[in-house]
Amino acid sequence: MVITAAPARESAPAHLPPGRRRTHLRRRTAINYALVAPALVLSIVIVVVPGILTLLFAFTDWSGVGFDVHFVGGKNFASILSDPVFATALTNNIKWLVMFLTLPAVIGLLTAMLLLRRKRLRTFYQVIYLMPYVLAPVVNALVWQTIIYNPHGGVAGLLGIQPPTGSTSTALYAAAAVDMWHYWGFLTVVYLGAIRQTPVDQVEAAIVDGAGGWGVFRNVYLPSIRPTLLLMGVMTVIFSFLAFDYVFLLTQGGPAHASEVMGTYAYAFAFSSFEFGKAAAVGIIMSFFGLLASVLYTWISRREIAR
Amino acid sequence: MRRMRLVTAAIGVASAVALALAGCSSGDAGGGGRQTLQLWFWGAPPQQQQTMKQVLIDGFNKSQSKYTLQVTFNNAVDKNVQVALSANKGPDIVYGSGPAFSAAYATQGKLADMTPYAQKYGWQDRLLPAMYQSGTVDGKLYSLPNSIEDIGVFYNKKVLAKLGAQPPKTYAELVSTMDKAVAAGMYASVTGNQGWKPVNQNYISLFLTQVAGGKKVYDALQGTIPWTDPSIEKAVQASADFYQKGYLGGKDYATLNFDQSVQLLSQGKAPFMLGPSLIFQFASNYFNDKNGTTDDLGWLPFPSVDAGRPYPYPTLGTTASLSINAASKNKDGAAAVIDYMMTDGFTKDMNKSWPGYWAVPLKNFDLDAASYTGLSKPFVTAMKDTIATVNKGNYGFFAGTFFPPATATAFTDIDSVWLGKESAADFLKKVQTTFAAEKAKGLVPPLPQPGA
Repeated sequence: MVITAAPARESAPAHLPPGRRRTHLRRRTAINYALVAPALVLSIVIVVVPGILTLLFAFTDWSGVGFDVHFVGGKNFASILSDPVFATALTNNIKWLVMFLTLPAVIGLLTAMLLLRRKRLRTFYQVIYLMPYVLAPVVNALVWQTIIYNPHGGVAGLLGIQPPTGSTSTALYAAAAVDMWHYWGFLTVVYLGAIRQTPVDQVEAAIVDGAGGWGVFRNVYLPSIRPTLLLMGVMTVIFSFLAFDYVFLLTQGGPAHASEVMGTYAYAFAFSSFEFGKAAAVGIIMSFFGLLASVLYTWISRREIAR
Repeated sequence: MRRMRLVTAAIGVASAVALALAGCSSGDAGGGGRQTLQLWFWGAPPQQQQTMKQVLIDGFNKSQSKYTLQVTFNNAVDKNVQVALSANKGPDIVYGSGPAFSAAYATQGKLADMTPYAQKYGWQDRLLPAMYQSGTVDGKLYSLPNSIEDIGVFYNKKVLAKLGAQPPKTYAELVSTMDKAVAAGMYASVTGNQGWKPVNQNYISLFLTQVAGGKKVYDALQGTIPWTDPSIEKAVQASADFYQKGYLGGKDYATLNFDQSVQLLSQGKAPFMLGPSLIFQFASNYFNDKNGTTDDLGWLPFPSVDAGRPYPYPTLGTTASLSINAASKNKDGAAAVIDYMMTDGFTKDMNKSWPGYWAVPLKNFDLDAASYTGLSKPFVTAMKDTIATVNKGNYGFFAGTFFPPATATAFTDIDSVWLGKESAADFLKKVQTTFAAEKAKGLVPPLPQPGA
């Protein structure tokens, strides 16, 4: 059985006469509308209108410049779905998702557990771990490109190996590595925050019952941070299908489309080919996966609440 | 009650919109009675921005009393211009990637017809016919190139001497020297597309010009032959063979850019750097009078791959294009700036400290190389020779300048063929499909017809 608190009904002070109570209520309603209006207008202008326009443009041949637009039906989708580069991009997004759901999550959890035991310098470490996350992607990409992936003067050059960004078999992983490097510290801080919310009496009870470190983690901490894990998992799914910045900055989707993701694929249509209609169609497909993740999250959350 | 709520809601929405619009609005600033003219330019290095300020901004502002020119430097200028023009905003003078991109804006009514200004200032009489024509759409002028360029061979004289080689006069000599360099533990040549994938367009354009020839490419762009023509397929395959032999930066092509490549050339890591003449602007950082290395760098047009073709045979391109924003309130002023840039005096001054970017396509490119120092001297000489060759009708086409946008982007994907992911035939089938759609929309810019 689910019990939720019903919102309190808006009411006027009881001591006022009926006429003044109505006036009071009207004034309150007016103030409420006025307060909600800016956020509502911004949401409509920035989210709803572009969203609807993107959906409409996905069925046109709009160039992105001017108003010369023709309805082309599902031609953009047919063209994209028959393009092998799209298949590569979608596959790469799925690989990206698998990598991000595992590696940074595991490293983040492990580090969070280690930090939990460390009383001194815990905050200092959190700040250090967060630094790559707060730096602009272009800075992180430049640092890696210059220091690690540089064939002359970088680590790759010193080792005498081809920088991984230059090979079709490793370019995607090279870009993902930089993105994961910037992301795992953030996960650590989020997971640590969630772990610290675990009731101490449960942890102590488990220890008293003879549970070891792994047992406490599996049976106490893990169930306790399950909602956080779930939320971050869903966010990771959404981010993975929106991946763009590190791929664009480090490999531009190359060589030979080897590291192409749907974001870079759409960008080329929009800003190189003047094919905004196709770019919008790719955007719709990308959003579809985000929507799936959101629906899944909502469904799981409801099940959690109902349990 | 309900009506009152609706009225209140409407007032709230209107207030929010008014606030939002107030935040977005901008004014047209002008000082001392002058009108302000805006030009957005790419994020050139500080030294070159300084040249731009002295020669263009200060020069133009002193030359007249009606306008004040302001230049904003930004590396994302192409994207910013595209977004601004879509919203009927943006700078007065539109800096673009070339005539093909300008044509895409022109067909959407985003650029002003410059034909009246061309007549007023006599641009047609002053500029190379091929370059003037490239900026027209349906007989009206919409853009002028700021500079012509060719794709050729930069070489380090000291490295060639070390290898016992001479500057190559034939394709066989070029390849032979590159093989010697590899045997000596060097790169065959240095170049790369790191950070700017359209660099690929240089090398596919080069092979289309040298193997298929300018006339074949012209015919393909006119739609009289398909892009799948055997002569074009042969050119694409030749570019793939060239890449696969390591003649384009070897395995580091994807991890080098032009600046790093010139640096490697100056360090003696390679005998050659293949690329567009605009590389002179990067080269001046490493080959200069201050270091006493100016004379170490040489430049020559790319040797003919096909022995039957005349030499030199440039791959004609432009570094950028200049247009007038249809939404500009100061079109006359914008035209005055463009006119200022299409003059002998401006060309002479810009090339003094910024070689590589300002070979203004004047019919009479009469710059005295002897009066220049540093790399400006070889650049001016090279461009004078290129203009003379173009006047004879011997040239091919650079994709980024003359191909419609989606077709140029399709050619950017040539690395799929180079890396063996796709056959030349399949690649050209895709190009043909893309091109046919753009041709149907009238996006192919008018082309100057080269000699057979």
